[in-house]
Amino acid sequence: MQREFASREDLIAYVTQVFPGAKGAVSETVGGRRAALHKLAQLQPHAYGDTRNYLDGAVTHLSPYLRHGVLTLAEVRDYLQSQGYPWSVVEPFLRQLAWRDYWQKLYEQWGEGIWQDREPYKTGFTAADYGEELPADITNGTTGLLCMDSFSQELQTTGYLHNHVRLWLAAYIIHWRRVKWQTGAAWFLMHLLDGDPASNNLSWQWVASTFSVKPYYFNQENLARYTQQKWCMSCPHLAKTCPFLGSYEQLHKRLFPHAEFPQSHSRLGTRR
Amino acid sequence: MPNFPSPTLVWVHGDSLSPTNPALLTYPDAPAVWDEELLNQWQISRKRIVFIYECLLELPVEIRRGNVMEKLTQLMQEYGAQKLVTTQSPSPRFQHICQELSRQFTLEILAIPPLIPPQKYLDLKRFSRYWKVAEKHIYPH
Ligand SMILES: Cc1cc2nc3c(=O)[nH]c(=O)nc-3n(C[C@H](O)[C@H](O)[C@H](O)COP(=O)(O)OP(=O)(O)OC[C@H]3O[C@@H](n4cnc5c(N)ncnc54)[C@H](O)[C@@H]3O)c2cc1C
Repeated sequence: MQREFASREDLIAYVTQVFPGAKGAVSETVGGRRAALHKLAQLQPHAYGDTRNYLDGAVTHLSPYLRHGVLTLAEVRDYLQSQGYPWSVVEPFLRQLAWRDYWQKLYEQWGEGIWQDREPYKTGFTAADYGEELPADITNGTTGLLCMDSFSQELQTTGYLHNHVRLWLAAYIIHWRRVKWQTGAAWFLMHLLDGDPASNNLSWQWVASTFSVKPYYFNQENLARYTQQKWCMSCPHLAKTCPFLGSYEQLHKRLFPHAEFPQSHSRLGTRR
Repeated sequence: MPNFPSPTLVWVHGDSLSPTNPALLTYPDAPAVWDEELLNQWQISRKRIVFIYECLLELPVEIRRGNVMEKLTQLMQEYGAQKLVTTQSPSPRFQHICQELSRQFTLEILAIPPLIPPQKYLDLKRFSRYWKVAEKHIYPH
């Protein structure tokens, strides 16, 4: 296939022509080792630990490069070491890198089994209670919830979502819309530039509770805090009809009326 | 590509798109095959293909497209190669293709430098158990 292109536009036109089945937008994120090393050089391990749960936090956007082996996890670690950072500074970041390693190791063991529920749902529902189809208002971004509509659009146009956004969107799809995690996971894989069967599916299972002791869910206060109210401020649902409104206890009763699980904090690269 | 028959061919797949990929470092001349079946199976969007294509353009490889098994077999014949080299991947699809290939050719699968050294026993029940071991080996401290 062709290797010489005058510009990115040229390449895009060529791909469009030879892969007519591949639809949708093109991301601004550029592939390749050069771009990966450039992103690596911008890594701020000090700020990372304190801010990574915030949408405007110092996350690295290295995921598409790590996913496709443009950079290896070991290379990133060695880079940190070469910069002389002590363990206390790099620990939060390395813990996140390790999540990828952990999921890959499970993938080696389970293979296609990562598409099956690893454990039963702990939500008080069974797998049969969850729908197979992704509701069109989610993919079209017309739920009316400014946050979720914006997340859906961002996924489809940029191919990247912040970790916290992935958690919220996955939780919304599974627990509020009662859709099977497999359906949501397949949708993410289509669009994420870092789409990885292991990291993606097992994170979805973690949110669903089929690979954790309880479901992951969130409330409006949590979303508003880590987004600096970006969507809530102008959302017509904010005060009364927002489905995320309420305390964790209230949401537990509403979403999982038949389920018993501890109310303690959850962690998957993030805290409540 | 060399214009003389090379005894070895490198297969670069989508889990290892780096010029520092151990197979490329060991055997510098290589074709890469675009795994079209997989793209269809996942309904991969245009933005992902462009990203992967851009990664490929920085590698010293020939880009082929189609069924991986067929293309690799064809390329082995074209180049008169006896041995095929690639890098490891946990993907079951990759394992399956390798099984098939190793029936026909000498296949060498090179390891990617790991994040933590291989352990005799590693508990993967939950991340916390894995991390208890991993944090001891991941970084000097
Ligand atoms: C529902 C859901 C789906 C996900 N799907 C994917 C996916 O398909 N591919 C993917 O690479 N990650 C996935 N993740 C994990 C995580 O959200 C992304 O790796 C991260 O947001 C990528 O952004 P970053 O590179 O800026 O991350 P940073 O915070 O800068 O982290 C650095 C690197 O560490 C790794 N990492 C960080 N957090 C995690 C995590 N929780 N699990 C696994 N690896 C992690 C990634 O390789 C990442 O590039 C998913 C998470 C959820 C909740």
